[in-house]
Amino acid sequence: MSNEAALIEAARNGSAAAFADLVGAYREGLLRFLLTRSSSFADAEDALQDTLINAYRYLHSYDARWRFSTWLYRIAINNAARLKSTETVELGDLSDGGDDPLRLCIEASERENLWLSARRSLTDEVYAAMWLRYVEDMSIKDISTVLERSVSWTKVNLMRGRKILDAEFNKVATDEKSKAYG
Amino acid sequence: MDKLAKQLRDDAHRIECSVSDELEDRVRASLEGIEPEPAQRPRRESKSFSFWWASSLTGVAAAIAMIAFINLQTPGPGPVATDSNLQPLVIPTVRWHTETAVLTSPLEQEFEDLQADLKKAEEAVKQDIDRLF
Repeated sequence: MSNEAALIEAARNGSAAAFADLVGAYREGLLRFLLTRSSSFADAEDALQDTLINAYRYLHSYDARWRFSTWLYRIAINNAARLKSTETVELGDLSDGGDDPLRLCIEASERENLWLSARRSLTDEVYAAMWLRYVEDMSIKDISTVLERSVSWTKVNLMRGRKILDAEFNKVATDEKSKAYG
Repeated sequence: MDKLAKQLRDDAHRIECSVSDELEDRVRASLEGIEPEPAQRPRRESKSFSFWWASSLTGVAAAIAMIAFINLQTPGPGPVATDSNLQPLVIPTVRWHTETAVLTSPLEQEFEDLQADLKKAEEAVKQDIDRLF
């Protein structure tokens, strides 16, 4: 039995400490992802807390055929969607403002962070698919499971997302080149 | 890894955030206050087998009870008639005066003879009427 499987079994038997160890490796990544979906840092923290509590409570429903991170992200995305439906501030309005938690958490750079561009130009689902693919290294099948979409849908939309971000990326690169050469 | 994928990964890591101690305490406190919901145990085979037996026996018992009930409700065939209960059957006897026709000649000849007898009988009746009136 792997270490993760042992921790899952212990957590299922009521060990909160085992569960804390289990999710320790995923907390930062989840918070970063939720931060990109929230209108404030506090909301992202609340969403993370809800995600972990729900995961612990319903751990019996976890199917070991999936990767644990796949299951955890499924819960996180549900929480993010619920959070967004209750928010009064639109994320699009924040993207150019100074209160945007994502902008505040991004280190100062001459070039705009591609995830800011992604949030502006992609739909929620395509954004999540791109994040899971390029940040979490998930397989297409796992992404389709997390998003509850078909593998074909996932492939097509990842390609569309890539195309849009590639255009943004190349535009920035061209602008930088023009500046460099005057 | 292509340039775009690398840039996306690098930019994700540029998002600086960490789980604060305060959040960690909150999460720990929340987790200690709840119990994971128990998994729903799959039904045991023996349980379903006994359930099958119980339902079968109930069905059979219900069928027997229904048959018995219907049989008790239906009126029976009644008392069977015996010889002592029979009324004597009186059949009125009709005495017919018949004569056996002796066909000694062909049918056409017999027919003419009968007609002649009938004519004689008519004449006898006419004579009797004339005599009376």
